[in-house]
Formats: sequence, C-alpha cells, structure tokens
Amino acid sequence: MTAALHRRMDQAGRFYASPVRGTRLTVVLGRALATVFLLCFVTGVFSHLLQDPPSWMVYPLRPVWIYQLTQGVHITAGIASIPLLLAKLWSVFPNLLAWPPVRGVAHGLERASIALFVSSSLVEVTIGLINTYKWYPWPFPFRQTHYWLAWVIIGSLAVHIAVKLPLIAAHWRRPSATAAMPREGAAAAAHAGATDAAGAVATAHSTGTSVSATATGEGAVAAASPGRWSRRGFLGGVTAATTLLVVTTAGQSFAALGAFNIFAPRRQGTGPQNVPVNRTSEAAGVATAAGAADWVLRIHSRSHTRSFSRAELGAMPQATFDLPVACVEGWSQNAAWTGVPIRDLLAAIGAAPDSDLRITSLEKDGFYRQSTMPAAYSADPQTLVALALNGETLDLEHGFPARVMAPGRPGVLQTKWLADIEVLA
Amino acid sequence: MTGSEVAVTGRGKWLRWGLGAAGVAGIAFGLLGLPGDLGPPQLIGLLGWLAAAVVLHDGVLVALSTLAGAGLKRFTFGLGTVSQVILRATLLCGAAATLVVVPLLKAQQEVRTLTVDEGPYALALGIFWLALVVLAAAAIAAVELRLRKAARASAHAA
Repeated sequence: MTAALHRRMDQAGRFYASPVRGTRLTVVLGRALATVFLLCFVTGVFSHLLQDPPSWMVYPLRPVWIYQLTQGVHITAGIASIPLLLAKLWSVFPNLLAWPPVRGVAHGLERASIALFVSSSLVEVTIGLINTYKWYPWPFPFRQTHYWLAWVIIGSLAVHIAVKLPLIAAHWRRPSATAAMPREGAAAAAHAGATDAAGAVATAHSTGTSVSATATGEGAVAAASPGRWSRRGFLGGVTAATTLLVVTTAGQSFAALGAFNIFAPRRQGTGPQNVPVNRTSEAAGVATAAGAADWVLRIHSRSHTRSFSRAELGAMPQATFDLPVACVEGWSQNAAWTGVPIRDLLAAIGAAPDSDLRITSLEKDGFYRQSTMPAAYSADPQTLVALALNGETLDLEHGFPARVMAPGRPGVLQTKWLADIEVLA
Repeated sequence: MTGSEVAVTGRGKWLRWGLGAAGVAGIAFGLLGLPGDLGPPQLIGLLGWLAAAVVLHDGVLVALSTLAGAGLKRFTFGLGTVSQVILRATLLCGAAATLVVVPLLKAQQEVRTLTVDEGPYALALGIFWLALVVLAAAAIAAVELRLRKAARASAHAA
C-alpha cells in the first residue's frame, strides 16, 4: 500500500510539475507576502489596542487621520495578500506531494507548522475580506478570531523563515548565471528545466528531500518553455493582479483612488449627507427615542449632574472640525463636524477636562451601545458632541440628536444617538 | 545541506533560533488566546473552517488552476512567450477579481444595510472581464504581428 501511495504521489507530482516553479520564485513571492502580512499585523494590532486598550496604551490623536490611514492600509494590504498568498502556495504545491509525508519528528513538526500557517492564512484573509461586506457566515466571533489568528500567522511566519533561512539566503538575489545565459541557450535550458522540474519531483521522492531544494534546472527555467510562460511573466501577472485588486478596492479608504472603486463594498460620498453609514437607526432600534421631543443628554460625575436639551447644546459655543469617520472595515470619509467640545461640557459640571468617560447610546442592545473614552480623547479640543454634519443638522442615520466625534478613533467608538456621558473616577 | 542552500553560521544561527523562539511564542499566544474568547462550539466551527480552507485550496483551487494551465498550454501552443504572458496574466487578473467579487455578490443578497454592498458588482465584473479580454486580444495581435513581420524580414534578408 505504501508503494502504491508512493506511485500515486509521483503521478500527482508529475501532473502538477511546472518549469515556472522554483525556489527563487518562492522566495520572491514570500518576500512580498511577508511584507504585506507584517503590514496587516501591525495595523491590525493597533486597531485592536484602540478598541481594547491596555493600561499602558498611548493614544496618537494627531494627525487626526491616523486611524483612517492605518485601517485603510490594513484592509488594502489584506486584499493585496490574496493573490500573493495563492501564488506563493501554488509555487510550493508539489512539496505537499513529497513522499514520505513525514520523515522524522522535526520534519513532522515543520509540516504541522506549515499546515497551521496555510490554513490560518487562508481563513484569516477570507473572513477579513467577507467582514468588510458586513456578512458573517461563520459560527465564531469575527473580531476575536481575527485577532488571535493574526498572532498564529505571524508566529508561523517567523518559524517558517527560521526553518527556511538557508534557502532564503541562497535565493535572495537573482542568480548571476541566469542573467548571463545567452538567449539561444535559454530555450534548450528551459526544456531541460521542464524535464528537471518533473524529474526533481521523482528525485525528491526517492531521496526524501524537498522538491524546491533539488530542482536542478532552476536557473534554466527562468525562460519559458513552449506553450508556457516564463517565471518573470508569472511574477508580472501576479503583480498585475495584485495591483488591479488594490486599485479597484482602495477607493473606499483613499479618496485619490475613488474613481477606480468598482469592487469595494463602500463608496465615499454615498449615503445621507454624503457620508456612508455603518449601523443604521433601524438596526439600533433608536428612531423613536432619538426623535423624542424631551430628549436630553445627561452629563454626570459622582458629585454633579446636568442635562442638556438639544437647544441648550446648540446655544453653547460651537466648534467645527474636519474629522474623518474611519470604520474598522477600512472605509472612511472626511467630513465637517460641528458641535460642542466635550471638555466644555465637562467644565459645565466642574469635571476635569482630562477625565475618562463612559458614553452610552440610546440603543438598548448591541456590543457598542456603550464605550469608554480615555482622558486623552476627552481632553482634546477637537473631540465633540456633534450636532451637525457638513453644515446640516445631523441626520438620524449619523446619530441625531447628538453623537461623539473624536480625532484618530475607530468609527465603532464614535458613539451615535447619545444618551449619557458619565465621568469615571 | 544541499548545494542550493547557504550555510548559516554565527549571527545567522542566532537569528534562526531567535526567530524560531519568537515564532513559537507567537503561535502559542494566539492558540491559547482563542479558547478565552471562543466557546467550544465556536472553536469546533473554527477548526472546521481551517480544515475546509486547506481542502478547498489543495483539492479544488490548485487542481483547477493546474488544469487551466494545461488547457492553455494545449490551445495556445503556437503563441510566443510574450503573448503567453499577456494571455495568462489577463486570466490571472480576471480570476483574482472574480474571487473577490463572488462573495460580494452573495453578501449583496444577505445584507440589507444602507450604503453597504450597493454597487452594480456583477455588471462591473462583466465589464472588467470584457476590458481585460479586449486589451489582451489587441496586445497579443500587435505582438504576433510584429513577430511575423520580424520573421519575414529576417527570412528575406537570409
């Protein structure tokens, strides 16, 4: 049975053999993918820390578009990783068919770590992409799963690089022999390389070594064999696919690419008052409460309480700031917000401007009906209880009668349909 | 150590060990964090998704792309290298866009939220493919015409 499986694996290896594959290609793709994964990881952890801040957290409030930038990069890099990941996996696929599948404890551990790496990466980019569509066809919480899988992936990446470092070092630069190969020799070499690639699989199977390490015609197969494209052409194709995906989706985050935005789930400039909406008043169940004539915003500390009607808030000195609403899903929109600086409201009840606040919405249910605002934000002069958007009274979908807007803060924490602001001790 | 590997010594060895240790720590941090936030049914669901991702990729996607490549090789044998690159790169670009847009089309049916998933994505994807095909056909025609002219010119000179 073992021999029969061995023969099957050999057959599969020959079926999947391609002269385009090679260690150099894998290293080049790996470099790009690692860069993109690292970008995703750093920006993703930043977003996570803003939503679940540890006690030591330092909050960058300037530039006011910092979260707009980092989350836009996070989503765009995540989308870019899709063709890169698939290309990288394609480049090493024959290794999956190497026989025997496990040669020892260390080899088994390596293969297990790669299985974890591959499966986690595929799931992470898939749920990340589909989350931006606001569709959740999975049985686990997105945010927490996405966060923990990110650590598994970045850890797996480090282990993978550690294991493959000799190969990576050997193939980091383009081999000079290939560059110097005369054109007329390339076709013959490519043909030899095509044979070598298939032969390398058979050789690897019999010697139990990695296919990529024994592909002897690697330099030769850089040129194309008949009916196929070249390795450089493949890289060009992957680059083109990645670039096109980025260009046709990044416009939801970056206005400069707005004209090319044909595949992103959001478009800048859409929605009430030309700003997209995340949670609607209908989903939040606040339409009646928000429209109540006796609505007041209650601001209280341990010792003082005051309530402000919308008219009373409107009579206070107003400030207008250009602040982006930047969603965790990557879309963002710059807008002019007008309202009362929160620190003026805190002063009205004798509270210190740099106070931690608990902010509560009119929403009865929902994970974000309540948020905690650290003192760094409440003390910032550009943090508002906003009453107007782009010169018009705040629309119900944007948080009428009042909402919070602060610089550099994720959109889910810019609480809409305010009911209560509590000064925390 | 094979001939295509570089011996990693000294600082490189420390780098390997350091990366490996940090990597294992990162993996452990992630794996241990999951049960803290996910209940048993959710963990099982996640395991199912992890397994399905590998099966879908290894069993379906790679097989399909290999078959597509084999088919292309058979039907486009006469085309030169540059034309092969243009054709295959075009198909890669179209496939990548399709991969991203198909779940978006499904989400459009499932999600009813203002300003989300509101675009004409099916139409956009169709026009995208059309543009790719037209541009690729024009480019391949130009390349092949130029090659033929060059071949005729060199045959004439000979």
